[in-house]
Amino acid sequence: MIPQVRMEPSVPSAVTSKEELALLRILVVAGDGGSAGGLLQNLRQWADDGRLEVDTAPDLPRAVRQLAGQRWDVVLAVLGERPDDDLAWWVDTLRGASGSPRLIAVAQAPSMGLVLRAEKSGVLDVLSLPLRREELVRALERLRSVASETAVALPLVEPHAVGPYALVGQSPAMLDVYKLLARVAGSSATVLVQGESGTGKEVVARAIHLNGPHATGAFVAVNCAAIPENLLESELFGHEKGSFTGAVTRKIGRFEQAGSGTLFLDEIADMSLALQAKILRAVQEREIERVGGGETIPIDVRLIAATNRDLKEAIKQGRFREDLYYRLAVVTIRLPTLVERGDDLVLLTAYYIRLFAERYGKKIHAISDRVLELLRAHAWVGNVRELRNVIERAVIVATDETLRAEHLPDELRGEETTLADRPQGGLLTLAEAEARHIARVLAHTNGQIGAAAEVLEIHRNTLTRKMKEYGL
Amino acid sequence: MTGPAPVRVEKALALMPELEALAPLRALLVSIARPDEATLWSSSGPYLTLGKRGVHPDELRRRMPQAFHRVTEHLQVLFKAYVEALECQQRADAPGVVAALLRAGRLEEDVGRHTQARTWYEVALGVAEALQDRRPEVEALRALGYVCLALGEYAAGARHFQRSLALAEAEFDQAGATAASEGLGDVALAQGQWGGAQAWYSRGLRLAEAASDAPRAGRLERQLGVLARKQRDLAAAGEFLRRARERFEVAGLADEMAGVLNEQGLLDAQLGRYTAASAAYREALAWAQRAPRDARLELSIRLNLAELDLEAGRLLEAEAELRRAEQVAIGGHVIRRLAQIYTLMGRLRGAQGDETGFVFFEQAIELAKAVERSVATEAQVYHAYGLFRSRLGQQDEARAYLERARELFDSLGEAVERERVEQELRALSA
Repeated sequence: MIPQVRMEPSVPSAVTSKEELALLRILVVAGDGGSAGGLLQNLRQWADDGRLEVDTAPDLPRAVRQLAGQRWDVVLAVLGERPDDDLAWWVDTLRGASGSPRLIAVAQAPSMGLVLRAEKSGVLDVLSLPLRREELVRALERLRSVASETAVALPLVEPHAVGPYALVGQSPAMLDVYKLLARVAGSSATVLVQGESGTGKEVVARAIHLNGPHATGAFVAVNCAAIPENLLESELFGHEKGSFTGAVTRKIGRFEQAGSGTLFLDEIADMSLALQAKILRAVQEREIERVGGGETIPIDVRLIAATNRDLKEAIKQGRFREDLYYRLAVVTIRLPTLVERGDDLVLLTAYYIRLFAERYGKKIHAISDRVLELLRAHAWVGNVRELRNVIERAVIVATDETLRAEHLPDELRGEETTLADRPQGGLLTLAEAEARHIARVLAHTNGQIGAAAEVLEIHRNTLTRKMKEYGL
Repeated sequence: MTGPAPVRVEKALALMPELEALAPLRALLVSIARPDEATLWSSSGPYLTLGKRGVHPDELRRRMPQAFHRVTEHLQVLFKAYVEALECQQRADAPGVVAALLRAGRLEEDVGRHTQARTWYEVALGVAEALQDRRPEVEALRALGYVCLALGEYAAGARHFQRSLALAEAEFDQAGATAASEGLGDVALAQGQWGGAQAWYSRGLRLAEAASDAPRAGRLERQLGVLARKQRDLAAAGEFLRRARERFEVAGLADEMAGVLNEQGLLDAQLGRYTAASAAYREALAWAQRAPRDARLELSIRLNLAELDLEAGRLLEAEAELRRAEQVAIGGHVIRRLAQIYTLMGRLRGAQGDETGFVFFEQAIELAKAVERSVATEAQVYHAYGLFRSRLGQQDEARAYLERARELFDSLGEAVERERVEQELRALSA
């Protein structure tokens, strides 16, 4: 049950040689009504020590044509009269460009909101007009320093397969989970799996099913929160033809589909009280009735429920039935967050890189030290699901044998570059410091206002007001 | 610390009666709906639809002045248009009356109130019919033709365009005749009558070229490109689109450039040139950014881009693009297009063999019926839903949904789509 994990020694090697790092290809886009000529001249005078290749485009549409045709490292774009809108368009445009070029946005007196929004979107820098030499050089140097990454070989991981999924990790928190899982799987006891979103509740439920007495039967999963409330009952219990508008055929519900296997009710806290009563009856009586049908159908399923909510709190608020809770929580397994799992992050990263590299026909054998730093620094609100998502996207865009920072989503790269503090060299005002801190917390919570408000320990309305005030 | 949980949109809308007066409130409620933050990374996150988004009543209350402002602004310009019509009447300027009434109709159309727009146009037509100068009548008929087209009333639309054309020709109104020919082409295209559409567009193009009306000629060439693509004459389609693009770029018409590049993307996709198609859509988006803000145009491009990713098996990109499109639709008050977005989401889940994807089709049907009120959209959703069920091996349900789609296409007189559904049903029985 416990995955065997062996770490390979790291084999550091330069991802890119210094010579290769030297040449930067920059596309300068003047924006509406402007001319790129002056900017181009400045750029060449200030930063061209033989390591720049510069071209211009008159506007966004023509820049898109040039981006489609060739690979660029940087786009230096002058934002127009609606800098926020322009910035959003540029970020969107570069998302689809090959080679993941970085954006340097140039604006007349950029607002704090614009700078922070740019930071959140992974923009390399926001410079103000008139352009100053030292700011531009600093931005380009930052890009060059970011580009010097060292490759680290992927550690070996021996995952424990759970159907199409796998359990990966050897942290103490996960070892506790494996032990409990081993104890409970052999029985037919109803299990409640609790844990934050993306911690792997369904994988654990599948592991229990596959290692238990119901393993020969089907594993049927129902996401109670995904299905509209008016359809959930018929999804679970089935319906007879014509029992309601839209019942075009007789439908066998998930309880019946599971047969003598396991029914996994995910996000059970989202179910209405009326439906909870029907689930309780099914669990107690071991029988169900299809919607619009009079026949009683016996069932022999093992029930596993999962939630990311605090069910005891929901009981106190009258949103969850206490009797159902005790029926479901015969055994409770609590899953740790990704942050609580420490170095499992590295193992999971390696596992997902190999998984997706195989799926997308890529050969990726290493990961850069900077990627590891960025992954370790991220808050992982979405836990393993978020990590999986990030790695899948990175593998898709990776073009060589090492996964590098440029392959990560803008949001993670934004955390890496950290735009130069403004004003340069001076001290921040209280408002600037507050705005920057709010922006950072929002970036860590993936823009989730509620979660950010919790971290900041302020009411969400206060946070919303401050976001509006700072133009975030 | 974080305050009360938001109310789900499905519950919020259930409390709101289907009254015309509440339409702006409904639109506001939808536009401020946000994904429940707790569900973003939860296992139900990928199935998030409008109904599962949340709204805070206090935010709705705070934003109500915005809704009032939009309503009063709309009424103000409508009333102004009417007063202008009245002033023209006082001056015995009947063409001015017609122009003012038509302007009011266009304002209604801009906010998606097609039925109300038709009423304005009908009043305008009544005034125009009494005039000796027939050009206002030509214009009123053309406006009526387009609004009927938008409402799916193709036969009525064709009648208005025919009358408009006859009058324009009698008056030697070349611009009017060109526009009426384009309208007749659009009706024929919508009904799948390729031959008719070809004839009308070609006629319009000849007239536009004779009048050196480059924007109109470009639009007709684009439509001829659309038509050629639908008839699988892809070389001809490419040539028409190239010519249209040249005209628009010279004229600096950003919105038309976005439109023609959007169509170029569809053509490239049909030719299996996914990289070229993607580049065309991206450039189309860039032109759309330069044009006056038009959420419908941006949505159309993003939906095509998502469909391209879906067909190329780039499911992550497709999903990300669909979520962006959803945000544009909700934020840009174009919730009518949400049904299409959710249909594509459902197709995406079907491609992943994910049965829970049915929630998107259910939401799309609800939106097509209650919000978009478009039988054509509802039929398309049922068609895609049937294919989704079929892909999952649920043949009885697949047949039921396809039969429903066929029934709806029948009611519209839509021959091409109906035949496609019929083919699917035959394949299911085989």
